[in-house]
Amino acid sequence: MRDRLDAALRASRADYTEIRVERTWASSVSFRGRRLETATASEDVGGFVRVLSRGRGWGVAAFTSLDHLPAMLDRARELSQAIVLDEPIRLAEVAPVTGEALLDLDGDVRGVSLAEKTRLIEAYNGEMLAVGGGITDTVANYHDEVTEYWFVNSEGTALHEIRPEVTLSGTALARKNGTIEKGLESIGLRKGWKSAQNKGAGFRQAAERAAQLLQAPSVRGGTYPVILDPEMAGVFIHEAFGHLSEADFVYENPQAREMMTLGRRFGRAVLTVGDNGAAPGLRGTMPYDDEGVPTQDTALIREGVLVGRLHSRETAARMGERPTGNARAISFRHPPIVRMTNTYIANGQGTFADLIKDIKLGVYACSAFGGQTMLESFSFTAAYGHMIRDGHVAELVKDVVLAGNLFQTLDRIERIAGDFQWNQIGGGCGKGGQSPLPVTEGAPHVRIEAALVGGEVG
Amino acid sequence: MIPAVLDALKRAADAGDACRQRSERTTITFESGRLKSAGVVEESGLNVRVVKAGKVGVAGTTAADRPPAEVIARALASAELGEPLALEFPGARAYPSVATESPRAASASAQILTDLGRELVERLARPDAQINVTVEREVEETAVGNTAGAAGSYRATGVSVSADVTRVTDNDVLMVYDYFVGTDLPEAKDLDAIVASIQGRLERALTVTSSPGGPLPVVFTPMGLSALLLPLEEALSGKTLVQGISPLQGRTGEPVFAEGLSIVDDPTIPGRPGSYPFDDEGVAAARLPLIERGVPRAFAHDLETAARLGKGQRSTGHGHRGVFGKPRLAYSNLIVGPGPVGRSPWSLGGGLLDGIAEGLVVEDLIGVGQGNVIGGAFSHPVALAYRIEQGEITGRVKDAAVAGNVYDLLKRTAGWGNDGRWVGARWSASLRLDGVSVAGR
Repeated sequence: MRDRLDAALRASRADYTEIRVERTWASSVSFRGRRLETATASEDVGGFVRVLSRGRGWGVAAFTSLDHLPAMLDRARELSQAIVLDEPIRLAEVAPVTGEALLDLDGDVRGVSLAEKTRLIEAYNGEMLAVGGGITDTVANYHDEVTEYWFVNSEGTALHEIRPEVTLSGTALARKNGTIEKGLESIGLRKGWKSAQNKGAGFRQAAERAAQLLQAPSVRGGTYPVILDPEMAGVFIHEAFGHLSEADFVYENPQAREMMTLGRRFGRAVLTVGDNGAAPGLRGTMPYDDEGVPTQDTALIREGVLVGRLHSRETAARMGERPTGNARAISFRHPPIVRMTNTYIANGQGTFADLIKDIKLGVYACSAFGGQTMLESFSFTAAYGHMIRDGHVAELVKDVVLAGNLFQTLDRIERIAGDFQWNQIGGGCGKGGQSPLPVTEGAPHVRIEAALVGGEVG
Repeated sequence: MIPAVLDALKRAADAGDACRQRSERTTITFESGRLKSAGVVEESGLNVRVVKAGKVGVAGTTAADRPPAEVIARALASAELGEPLALEFPGARAYPSVATESPRAASASAQILTDLGRELVERLARPDAQINVTVEREVEETAVGNTAGAAGSYRATGVSVSADVTRVTDNDVLMVYDYFVGTDLPEAKDLDAIVASIQGRLERALTVTSSPGGPLPVVFTPMGLSALLLPLEEALSGKTLVQGISPLQGRTGEPVFAEGLSIVDDPTIPGRPGSYPFDDEGVAAARLPLIERGVPRAFAHDLETAARLGKGQRSTGHGHRGVFGKPRLAYSNLIVGPGPVGRSPWSLGGGLLDGIAEGLVVEDLIGVGQGNVIGGAFSHPVALAYRIEQGEITGRVKDAAVAGNVYDLLKRTAGWGNDGRWVGARWSASLRLDGVSVAGR
């Protein structure tokens, strides 16, 4: 493969050329109730080329037939030549790297039969079904991938990697008198078959929670002190702040640039936020991004003040900042764009009990179902919540939806506990038609002075 | 290709089908008003399904360098685990003729696509905002065949032109977008419509006002309707029905909704990218009334949901396939409301504002699809909404949320607007609903 790629690079007439080739073996097993929906294995092969010439735009080509590589390089160059720019695209300088990163496959999933994978997820599904108590339906999914990856560019970078991934997820639906509640378990690991074992307890808990939520009241809508558990806090920082720190949002937009001026205060001194593509063993972890730039720990907010942002080589050059290794593509079908990796709120001090002991009436929002932001407005749905009464966690409540304005809410983060954890959950991040990209979020428990909690539907 | 796969399939399995998709997509991207990149994606993939000993298996591949026997072997391994399912593959038959291809779009050069984008960028330019435009053209060939004799192939083109305008001031971020999709290149009137709708909504959004509160009349624009239609789309799916969780189960023939509500799925509409002569399982395309004048009439099915339901249910031609995984049920084009009746010039609210003393126009909501969609309850903050006072738009409302239950609200629709249009593969006008819960902050 290397020889083929080197020959193609030599033949390319563009000033800058990069080529990615990926071969992915994947398998998926899905249960719905007691019924097996699918058990299937697939193979996905393709390449991507991107070229740039002085004063011209990006020419990009992706293809599933690797034989077409030389022809697609020509197509990309033609497309690039057709774009004449008055302001040239520049790429921030990075030192060329060569490397092999053959991650530990942790029990190579390619050596495990589809039947064994089916038995594994069937057992986890069984944990949910065994809960009874109104559990009327379940969905349980197993997915694995091993990707062999090559990246070369005309500056001398040449990478060869093998990356494993396993995700497990379960949804339990409980139903009573027309009310439906759900419980969710989600696990995503940059690991293999071994790490997918012994995960039944989380599935059981998800089903138990769905059954409990049937009895739980809706939270009463209103403004409360809110504690986010590490999962909600992680989703919050990714969705509400992380996307704004992606430099492609600001680099050609003077107003957005002003809004995201480095040095601007975004929160109180307790708040420190970063993105770390080099953190060991997480889903968003990679030695290099899809431009061959080493990943790193990038500080975004330090003690409340905006200190950094996430870059590709292009956005870094344009803004006169350093590349951070955040140009990522979901597959060979797509160009790399600025993305998060493992985004976190840094650890604070004290315990969860310290965080809630002086809250008379508040809401503890746990485990995220999902979230969406429209730039500065956000909405997040917790899987469940508890009321906090007189400094203690009290009754279970449902329909906990947090909504608000990002800037106000960041500024109202008043305390952060010292119980940081990475949330190794599945799913992923979507942007620019590229979804789901494996990312991880991490956070401790976080206390927001006051936030709007939507509850009961009127 | 397909005949060779079917030959191999017949030797290895009792029955089966195959779907091959080849596509080439060209994308031109303007970022912040500047032409930035041009790209092409060429893709070819094969999805194979087998039935062996009454059990069904599926596998897919894009690895053109591997023989079909490999993907068939994987499908057989999948079938060993599968549950018994009496799939009834359609036999050979003539398919309707459906216009899915525009030669003009297929042959349009990158230059023509670039010029289209540049025209939009220039027309939308304003000093206080950033404009992104993407122009995409896809040419796709779909071929389907099965061991029962069905066989067909067709070419389709798809063109999309989308524009978004973002205006950032202090801590206010306003984003307004719109898009065109068709099988052909947009006509001048289509670009005019994008410009009018983006500029019209942007201008009216420059003034920010507070939100009213309480149960109020709310006009959901064609784009804003998604949150209300999602529960119905789920409820009318054969998949939901088979799972026993559709709120419309056993209610066909009953007046469940107001008379004004009709929904038809129609894959035979000429010139729409959602159209096809047959679905990806080789079932002939046909118009399917789902709700007629408030009365649910039918559910959409693919081969699997029809087989699971039994009772003589046939696929309604709604099986869609990607390269990987098994076919899944999907709608083609959904016509919501009274149906296409010409097109009025763009207006915010489609002429439904008269007589509303206090209310909202909702263009876009946050978090649609999160939470418990099937039950019909929704509760979303607004992404883009306007305040109505005495029949007039008085400004944009930022911190507001709307909530309600689709099954209650759609019992009494207060009328459709005169602004019917396609939003992707869905046609509808604005819809006024009364008694929607609006919460301001």
